[in-house]
Amino acid sequence: MRRRSLLVTLAIVALVAAVSAIVASASYGSRAKKSAGSIEVFSLWGGSEQDAFLKVTKAFTAKTGIAVKYTSGRDFTTDIGARLAAGNPPDIAIVPRPGYLASLARRGVLKPLSSMGFSSTYMRARYGSSWLGFGTVGGKLYGLPAKGNSKSVIWYRPQTFKKYGLKTPKTFKQLLAITKKLKAKGQTPWAVGDGPNQSQWVLTDWFESIYARQAGPAKYQALFTGKLKFTDPSVTKALKTMTQIINNKYVLGGIQGMLGQSFVGGITDVFGKKAKAHLYYEGGFVGGIAIDQVNKALKPGVTINDFPWPTINPKYGSPVTIGADYAVAFKDNPEIRQFLTYITSGAAGTIWVSTGAIISPNKLVPSRAYPNVLVRREGLQLAGAKVIRFDGSDQMPGAFGDTWGFALQKIAQNPSNSNMKKVLSGFQKQIAGQWGT
Amino acid sequence: MSQAIPTPPVAAPPPVEPVTGRERRSRLAGFLFITPALIVLALFLVYPAYYTIRLSFYQSDFLFNFTHWVGLDNFKNLLTNDPDFLDLSAFPPSGSLVNNLRWVIFYISVSLVFGLGLAVLAVRVRYERAVKSIVFVPMAIAATAVGIIWLFVYSPDINQGVLNALLHAFGHDPIAWLGRDDTVNYALIFAYIWASTGFVMVVLSAAIKGIPAEIMEAARADGAGEWAIFWRIMVPMLSLPISIVTIWLFINVIKVFDIIYVMTGGGPGTSSRVIAFTMYYETFPNLKPGYGAAVAVIMLILVLPVMIVNVRRFRSERVIT
Repeated sequence: MRRRSLLVTLAIVALVAAVSAIVASASYGSRAKKSAGSIEVFSLWGGSEQDAFLKVTKAFTAKTGIAVKYTSGRDFTTDIGARLAAGNPPDIAIVPRPGYLASLARRGVLKPLSSMGFSSTYMRARYGSSWLGFGTVGGKLYGLPAKGNSKSVIWYRPQTFKKYGLKTPKTFKQLLAITKKLKAKGQTPWAVGDGPNQSQWVLTDWFESIYARQAGPAKYQALFTGKLKFTDPSVTKALKTMTQIINNKYVLGGIQGMLGQSFVGGITDVFGKKAKAHLYYEGGFVGGIAIDQVNKALKPGVTINDFPWPTINPKYGSPVTIGADYAVAFKDNPEIRQFLTYITSGAAGTIWVSTGAIISPNKLVPSRAYPNVLVRREGLQLAGAKVIRFDGSDQMPGAFGDTWGFALQKIAQNPSNSNMKKVLSGFQKQIAGQWGT
Repeated sequence: MSQAIPTPPVAAPPPVEPVTGRERRSRLAGFLFITPALIVLALFLVYPAYYTIRLSFYQSDFLFNFTHWVGLDNFKNLLTNDPDFLDLSAFPPSGSLVNNLRWVIFYISVSLVFGLGLAVLAVRVRYERAVKSIVFVPMAIAATAVGIIWLFVYSPDINQGVLNALLHAFGHDPIAWLGRDDTVNYALIFAYIWASTGFVMVVLSAAIKGIPAEIMEAARADGAGEWAIFWRIMVPMLSLPISIVTIWLFINVIKVFDIIYVMTGGGPGTSSRVIAFTMYYETFPNLKPGYGAAVAVIMLILVLPVMIVNVRRFRSERVIT
């Protein structure tokens, strides 16, 4: 009898423990609300990009006493989506896609910056109107331009160019000639890292750089805002131009090598200790990653350099495509406002650009703050560009930027007319009706 | 309807005894004991399953709300209009469903052959324990870590990738195993086989030890060769453990996700996606939870018959012993 009642007691204790554990975990979210003086910032940066940003947050903490918890997730749409669904979004997220930003804003999960005390005069004193435009949805500003990069530069090894007597190209024809010449010398001209897991955006940037110069900025804007179909002949034409370089002959390891190599791995193929190729195309951030992460022995201008993307159709010149990351607020409180205010200050921008990792869209950041010739020149390219276009795949709604990248991978593997047609019409069917959602 | 079913002869019901206070209390105790388990199951299994199934009939926003009822549209779309999930327009067919079929065939058969072979052979050598430990070690490694290890093995860089270093030694150009759609699935499958052969081996090896030695000796005395012993005695006597392991492998392979996520992210393009990966991709990165839920339901439908067979089998086992 005694044992029985002991068992019953035990069972009751177990039951109570289980229930209280569940209740505790359910209320965890609300109880764990940030204690005053701490905020969470989410972004996709890792490696040297993360280190550069942490310098900024450190300076902020030193100034205000507010601790910043940085969370990184390369798979940011997943992370943010899951946390929103769980009712526990980060305080601030810094995301690279205006298209995704707009999707979030339309669902009403973002705080408009005007309601957080950022007047349009204040913002316009710091950022150009085209920068602010990409953070604006339905007439309201949600995204604060945190950092930017030119995507219109091509990276090369100056030693190679000197050795073979090559000059930096001004036109696509010259770029092709250099490619052929390097190949004739027994070299592999290009490395491209578009490979396993989350590097598919590299090919989208290739396509965009070509399309903006071949079809022109107006068509570019139409294509990436849903006013022109992907089955348009101009798209096929740009893809054919792309495959003049992106093919088994000129890319390290061929197409399969490109699809097996990651973005940073591709940089290593060109700027690592043992160079296997000589040219690499991606945005201005390549410089920072190459110097800080891949090979610390690199000397800007001497062993690593870049040139502006060559023109294709002289009529359109060289429009600059940019990529930028926007800070958005999921919550509003004084600490969050302080952090956003700090990010818009010249002081924060100066610390950030001095790392060599980014270009600041902030007008208050002096050009002397840039640590080396590469970033200074990139800053000038952005400031002096006649035509600026935002990275097209980043303007696509939701996660279509990725879907477009996968489509390009399929085309690169089989660039026949019939496959191009099949993939493009399939993609068009998927994205039609999704613009503006 | 129920009248049509012949009822088995039932022994006369035991005389109903009045429930005593002690018995009532013991029932209460039993109920109390299973309550925590019931609560946990309801909260973490029944409710999510219900939610998922309901969601699969909706076009949901990315906050998992039931925004817009679409009936069976998600399923129709998946099976007829989504070449990433199922594409029968070209030969060979492609899509995640087909990839998963590839996994079922190759992963299960090769794991079984390797596992059974190692189990049978390991018993015969003196350093059995060492062999078994080595084969079993990958089981103790997290799938993500397995993925990273194999990323190195398959690396197209001959200074990094073992496989390509070997090819290079024989004068062959490096192959980006994960960059071609004709090799990527098999490369992934092989990595996963490496990770689960150990489990198959350990289970089957234990079963082999359970075969009475007299039977084998009798067979040998009767002049049976080793080959005959293997096919006529071992395999039949191992049929139950083999089927259990097969079911385990099957369930494993239908829900395979982690290794693909780590190694290829479903790429290049979409050529290494499987059902579970599509479920994840549509639900989270692609912000379509309703569509993802429909994939989950299809997955459930595929696993369910196997589960039922499995449970039946366990029940019948219990009756025999």
